[in-house]
Amino acid sequence: MENRQTLRLNAANLKDLEFIRNFIEEEIKSYQVDASAVYDILLSVTEVATNIIVHGYRGKSGPLEIEVGCQGDMIVIAVRDQAPPFDPTKVPTPDISLPLEERPLGGMGVHLSREFMDHMSYRYIPEKGNELILKKKGVALH
Amino acid sequence: MMEMTVEHVQGTDLVAILGLHGALDASNYMAVVAKARDLYEGGARRLLLDMREMSFMSSSGVVALHSIIRVFRGEQPHDPEAGWEVFHAIDRDRSSGMQTYVKILSPQPKVSLTLQKTGMDQFCEIHKDLSTALSTF
Repeated sequence: MENRQTLRLNAANLKDLEFIRNFIEEEIKSYQVDASAVYDILLSVTEVATNIIVHGYRGKSGPLEIEVGCQGDMIVIAVRDQAPPFDPTKVPTPDISLPLEERPLGGMGVHLSREFMDHMSYRYIPEKGNELILKKKGVALH
Repeated sequence: MMEMTVEHVQGTDLVAILGLHGALDASNYMAVVAKARDLYEGGARRLLLDMREMSFMSSSGVVALHSIIRVFRGEQPHDPEAGWEVFHAIDRDRSSGMQTYVKILSPQPKVSLTLQKTGMDQFCEIHKDLSTALSTF
């Protein structure tokens, strides 16, 4: 990433969600991202962080790292945690032609997170944990 | 930070207007459900959720909305761990058409989009102005 800023929380919990959104909003302000794209990014990261805390850490506190950066006209967010390995990119995309009763369980936050971003990729780093990369293209005007 | 305000309007049924101010997410959605339950237990039988000043809503907000509708139908709200089951329930409700207990006032466009992507808009009326919304109860 050309520029990046990192927020590290040693014991993130649900009460930190607003703090995380404020951090991201402040960091991407300098890239002149329009309000609509800012909202998409904030929603996506909120869903990811919520899943990590609620499911990964089972509602308890845990380490969470959010890195915000810019590559050209693209905003890139890296979310890292030390919960058990979980790859949200493997959560099936709901088939909207099926009734909801027939869709696979799990991942409603993941679904919205993907809907509002252009790219999501995952890797597990031994000794470090989960890393999820989110990208929003064509939004940084700086 | 989410703040809530309450007004009551007496019509055929007692209508409560619950104003949501700020961001609705996993940190506070249970408080919104609890407030709605208080209003129901206090005698309100119809609810208008005033979203004019709600700046943000995550999927937890969708779970809250559906739970509130269940409360106003006299049912138990959702288990917070229910996950997609909430969305299955939304689909079942959607097939039965618009419910009349809970309506929404003027969400901002991005919140409307979340309501659309989760099917919530297909069984919960959304109105653009207060007087029209109240006239539909």
